Amino acid sequence: MATIELSDVKKIYGKGTAQVTALKGIDFQANKGEVVLIMGPSGAGKSTFLTIAGSLQKPSSGSVKVDGEEITKLSAKATSNLRLNKLGFILQAYNLVPYLTVEDQFTLVDKVKKQGNLSRSDLHQLLEQLGISNLVKKYPNELSGGQQQRVAIARALYADPAIILADEPTASLDSSNVNEVGQLFAEMAKKRDKAVILVTHDPRLEKYADHIYEMMDGMLTKKR
Amino acid sequence: MFLAFKEIKHEKLRYGLIVLMILLISYLIFMLSSLAIGLADENTEAIESWQAQKVVLNKNANISMSQSILTKDDVAAADLTENEAFVGEMSVVAKSKKRTSISAQFLGVKSNQFIYKSQELVAGRKAKNQHEVTVDEAFKQKGYHLGDKLKLNDSKQEYKIVGFVKNAKINIAPIVYGSLATWKKLRVAMPNVVASTIISKNANYKFNHKNAKTYELKTFINKLPGYTAQNMTFEMMIGFLMIISLIIIAVFLYILTMQKMHNYAVMRAQGIPTKTLVNATISQAVILVLSGVLIGLILMELTTIAMPPVVPMKFTPLIMIVGVVGMLVMGIIGSLIPVRSILKVDPAKAIGE
Repeated sequence: MATIELSDVKKIYGKGTAQVTALKGIDFQANKGEVVLIMGPSGAGKSTFLTIAGSLQKPSSGSVKVDGEEITKLSAKATSNLRLNKLGFILQAYNLVPYLTVEDQFTLVDKVKKQGNLSRSDLHQLLEQLGISNLVKKYPNELSGGQQQRVAIARALYADPAIILADEPTASLDSSNVNEVGQLFAEMAKKRDKAVILVTHDPRLEKYADHIYEMMDGMLTKKR
Repeated sequence: MFLAFKEIKHEKLRYGLIVLMILLISYLIFMLSSLAIGLADENTEAIESWQAQKVVLNKNANISMSQSILTKDDVAAADLTENEAFVGEMSVVAKSKKRTSISAQFLGVKSNQFIYKSQELVAGRKAKNQHEVTVDEAFKQKGYHLGDKLKLNDSKQEYKIVGFVKNAKINIAPIVYGSLATWKKLRVAMPNVVASTIISKNANYKFNHKNAKTYELKTFINKLPGYTAQNMTFEMMIGFLMIISLIIIAVFLYILTMQKMHNYAVMRAQGIPTKTLVNATISQAVILVLSGVLIGLILMELTTIAMPPVVPMKFTPLIMIVGVVGMLVMGIIGSLIPVRSILKVDPAKAIGE
């Protein structure tokens, strides 16, 4: 049983002449311990794929299963719980709460998810690994783009989700940081047994991927 | 509450300005309410000090004590007990050498009846003859002393102040308590005139005979000149201020919420329950309102201390409670408008932007 599995998923926006088919019946699966890259140009359907895989919106047809459970039929509250407990999002920009310090970003997770988060020592280790352990008292607007992105990665990993979905996670990082983050994702997949799905343009991440898919005009093709 | 506090702490200036607005509105509400209650009390404080329940007036007097005359014929059949008292009332200008003239209400009372007995003295004693009067403590505040001699209207007769009385105002004017005989002289009344009114402490008292008609106390008070209009004016101002505070809170929170929609979408995408975001917004409204209102309360207390006694201001616990609860309710209602927007946040908007 795959950790996350999409079968014949279609997503159609609009009606009549304004109708756009963003996903044209895609099949996809990722398992724990794997890093999977979804690559492709802008407008190919990568974001739509991510929102459907992350239960942020429902497909027009097809099936999405997380740990074997169909999630397209879940209620809004149940999908919210699913995102909180099983999915970790790392978003492209503005993805930190601007009025919370770095440490408060983690406290917010504690407030809504009482159990199953990383321990304090694991969190400290993670922050050290990301090079942001000295930034815990800072607000997002006091951080560089790269530092913000690393904090966002730490926050997503803090809830210890089974699946990590990242939208251009290295967009604001330089090469050395890209390598660190790539390594971190690989470690998360291998050592912490997570399915890591990265939607990216960044070819520097390819070396950390177990599988690479290409999204083009709403179609998903497995390259590796 | 966590998100609410953290955001307020981070955006001190922005939320400080909202608190300032709420503070000013609540201060104005407390001020107007205190003045409304103070003025209303000054209309009725003497009547309340008598514990009056019913008022007998001439039925053609339009429920006005100053227009009412009761003759011997009118009251011939009245059943008077210790709960009833005659009062002769008229407006006077009281003046004394080297003192400010004061517009007052002269009340002629009988020394064996309850109104004379119920006078609550703060200094001196009660009047014992026709040439002595007791006066409201407003006279004392305006520099009058015991022993000062008053002239009332154009009368040549002087009346010695022998006592200052607490809670002795009617229709905002301070009362000069004297005898019924003095009232008759001042009123230049016909010999068969007995009084302006009969005041009764008995809630069941009823005397309708010839020109005499009995009125409920509430009816009598509401017909006091200017009383109802004044109260309604204050009530309208306070009501509008409450509505303005609701609009301000709603508009500010709505604008702030609109600016945070992307953050909300991100938090929703990360599984933060809508309930947490809604609670944060309502908590913010409660924190902002309570902060503003509590500072307003403190300012109002200081104002009450600093205000001279001639200003008819009564800041009572009831005003505090109604003011705080009223503003809090307005704040919570105001916060429900942005809450509607939060409920509609689409978490998918967090991706690809």
